[in-house]
Amino acid sequence: MAGTGMTDPYHDPHGDDLVDDYLAAITAQLPGPASARVAIAEELRDGLLETRHAHLARGRSDREASTAAIAEFGDPRAVAAAFGLELAAAQARRVARGLLATGPLVGLSWIAAAAVNAFPPWRHQLTGPWLALPVVGLALLTAGPALGVTMTTTGRSATLESRADQQASSALTAVAVAALAAATADLTLLAMLAGHALTAPGPLRWVGVAVAASLTRGLLAGRAARRCLGVRAALP
Amino acid sequence: MLKGHLDALLMATLAGGPRHGYAIKEALRAGSGGRFDLPTGTIYPALHRLERAGLIRGSWSVVNGRRRRSYQLTATGRRALTRERSSWREFSAAVSALLGEAPWPAPA
Repeated sequence: MAGTGMTDPYHDPHGDDLVDDYLAAITAQLPGPASARVAIAEELRDGLLETRHAHLARGRSDREASTAAIAEFGDPRAVAAAFGLELAAAQARRVARGLLATGPLVGLSWIAAAAVNAFPPWRHQLTGPWLALPVVGLALLTAGPALGVTMTTTGRSATLESRADQQASSALTAVAVAALAAATADLTLLAMLAGHALTAPGPLRWVGVAVAASLTRGLLAGRAARRCLGVRAALP
Repeated sequence: MLKGHLDALLMATLAGGPRHGYAIKEALRAGSGGRFDLPTGTIYPALHRLERAGLIRGSWSVVNGRRRRSYQLTATGRRALTRERSSWREFSAAVSALLGEAPWPAPA
């Protein structure tokens, strides 16, 4: 739009090519979901066009106003790096919340299945495939503190900007550990149930919910762990 | 100089009501007599961080055909700002006492 005589950016929701290039340079470097990147680009575009408008009001040309607005916003790499840390922390917190919300549901579904079917862990000594049950306990003991670290390093007490890079990195590591522990617990539970079905013939009642819960949570947790580690590796 | 104070300053610009990113940056610049003229691009990630911490809340609206995100203090943010103001008053009073031109007490 620059150079076309358009002087009012309020009627120019798309900005101009300089603004678009600048925004593209930022969003191309951002981690995380596309929806988050689009929202950031929209918010920055509004700010850039406001800044541009202020320069136009001071009598600058379209092109000069865009250049000045971009200069005021600063180095796109610095903006992308700051947003990258924020997105990384937000992603870690989102995954942690997901694990905290689904953990009790998955646990309850397995306790219910164990109670209904009188699985050995429910009433007897651990035998056969159920000998692997301590693995689940170990996974829970790992996931709990790891989620605590994630929520602490991304929470209210951690808003001081001075250590944002360390906090994002710690949060991503911790939540990846928690997600891997959750996936390990799910795999172990599913393997124990499969072992039970093969070695102790008889009808299994109400295990569908637990199996579906662990399959879904295990797959999602595994994928989330991989993504979090990927984002961590790409942190500046 | 702003390190460690940016969060409180950003919240202070919202004490009078909601603002969008550019308006917050302008409020910082104007309120500091031009001393705090930060790169605008760095204001936005800081606002997102404060929102994640529950200290401010962002909401979208459409202004002049563009989507705009404005921020306002949450109740938690207001309490945090009050605490920040109070601790800053104590800190600045102590520094003023030490750096002021009044003579220091003679060493014992």
